Amino acid sequence: MTLIVENVKKFYNDHLVLKGINLTVQPHEFICVLGSSGGGKSTLLNLIAGFIKPDEGVIKVNGSFVTKPSKERGVVFQDHALYPWFTVLENIAFGPIVQGMPKKKALEKALRYIELIGLSDYANHYPEQLSGGMKQRVGIARALAGEPEILLMDEPFGALDMFTRENMRTELIRIWKEVKPTIIFITHDLAEAVYLADRVIVMKNGMIATELEIHLPRPRNYRDPEFSILMENLEEHFVS
Amino acid sequence: MKNMAARQEAVSVYTKKVGKVRNKKYLHAIPIIAFFVLWEVITRLNINFSIVNPVFFPPPSLIFLNGVELFHSGLIIDSIVSSTIRIVIGFAIGVLLGVIAALLIGRVEKIEFWFMPVFNMIGPIPALALLPLFIIWFGIGEIPKIILIAWTTFFPVMTNTIDGIKSVHSSYIRSALSLGANDRQIFKKIIIPSTLPNIFTGCQISLGLAFSALVVSEMMGAKSGLGYIIVDARNYMKILNMYVAIILIGIEYSLFSLLLKVIEKKLLKWRTGGFENAVEK
Repeated sequence: MTLIVENVKKFYNDHLVLKGINLTVQPHEFICVLGSSGGGKSTLLNLIAGFIKPDEGVIKVNGSFVTKPSKERGVVFQDHALYPWFTVLENIAFGPIVQGMPKKKALEKALRYIELIGLSDYANHYPEQLSGGMKQRVGIARALAGEPEILLMDEPFGALDMFTRENMRTELIRIWKEVKPTIIFITHDLAEAVYLADRVIVMKNGMIATELEIHLPRPRNYRDPEFSILMENLEEHFVS
Repeated sequence: MKNMAARQEAVSVYTKKVGKVRNKKYLHAIPIIAFFVLWEVITRLNINFSIVNPVFFPPPSLIFLNGVELFHSGLIIDSIVSSTIRIVIGFAIGVLLGVIAALLIGRVEKIEFWFMPVFNMIGPIPALALLPLFIIWFGIGEIPKIILIAWTTFFPVMTNTIDGIKSVHSSYIRSALSLGANDRQIFKKIIIPSTLPNIFTGCQISLGLAFSALVVSEMMGAKSGLGYIIVDARNYMKILNMYVAIILIGIEYSLFSLLLKVIEKKLLKWRTGGFENAVEK
């Protein structure tokens, strides 16, 4: 799976929010898009997801143009967007079922993903009965159960508390190593980006300000001196 | 051991809570009983002192006895049956058409363009104003009554359902699309369940209006029904019958409303919210 974003521009009410984005994402790569709010990160993600359309430029996945949402591009939302009328299990089975899998098989598949996120005891709970971190794990499992080639994550841990957030990062890396989807992860948290990504894309004012590859071995340690140096490197782009 | 103790404690807390709730439900009866006792006392005193004509304000005990008498004569059963049939059929048709219309309007833009302004024009006309016209068109049989009930039911159900459809979270739809759902699946699995609470709100509003429509239509040109008992009682000064019919209408409406709530609770068991779940008492 290769994703190519070519000179993409997007206007909102005559205001240019994306000023020509070029980006190539390799299979199984973990990309973090880092930027302050209003920098165009979410717009870029929505474009790749196919929810909105570029005014100029193209987005290609495996050579074909992105024109609308598709199951090859799964999305994890900041507000998790779980369906409150379905149980955890039914939420996760939603993708396989709508893709035509027989219900029984889909539920079995969902059980495997529930195990992956460690919530087997909560299969028959409704989302409202879960904590924020648990909901977000279900959100990730639901997106993965649809077997996307690329997982788009829009500040998925933004609404979680600090402790849960750190747990979720570790979890996400574990899941990613197991399932190996390509991930584009939006965040405004420097440490999060350095902890998670193979490559950090820094966005500023609707442009890619810089890119930084991160070769630190996983699991990464926030107290590692190299970790701090990388963070300082990134920070410079926001100070100026 | 510690675990056991904790569990036992949890169980006892739970039973305590259930006990409390039961107590509360039981307590609801007290104001009702007090109401009837007060009514009985005041009307009995009135019979002695004749402050107002006691015939117009009978005590509940006499109404009850009259009700038993009417029950034995078969009039009550007949009236309840014919009223119930009318309300059930009319209400069901109204809800069904209301939901279908709303779904079509929510889904097909052309239908919205052509029908919404017309509905907005007709909707505000009080249905009861149309009853005489319906009687002229359809006679005095069951049809005008059922049409009137269906008509009153239709509008609140439709507008509430449309409201629900239009306010479905866009992230629900987005995530469904990204998981590979097609339009039909999104409609069935996302839009309808998320609109269900609005449909029930519409139904509750409609139910009250539908009962008004029922009673009025039975007052104008009917030979049976609870509304008919009321006009008949007025014509022959059978005040007790009138009270019996009024009370029965109240009871029937309450039962229907309760039934709707039970169905709603069953279908929307995923729903949490409101004061009940906000603060533990």
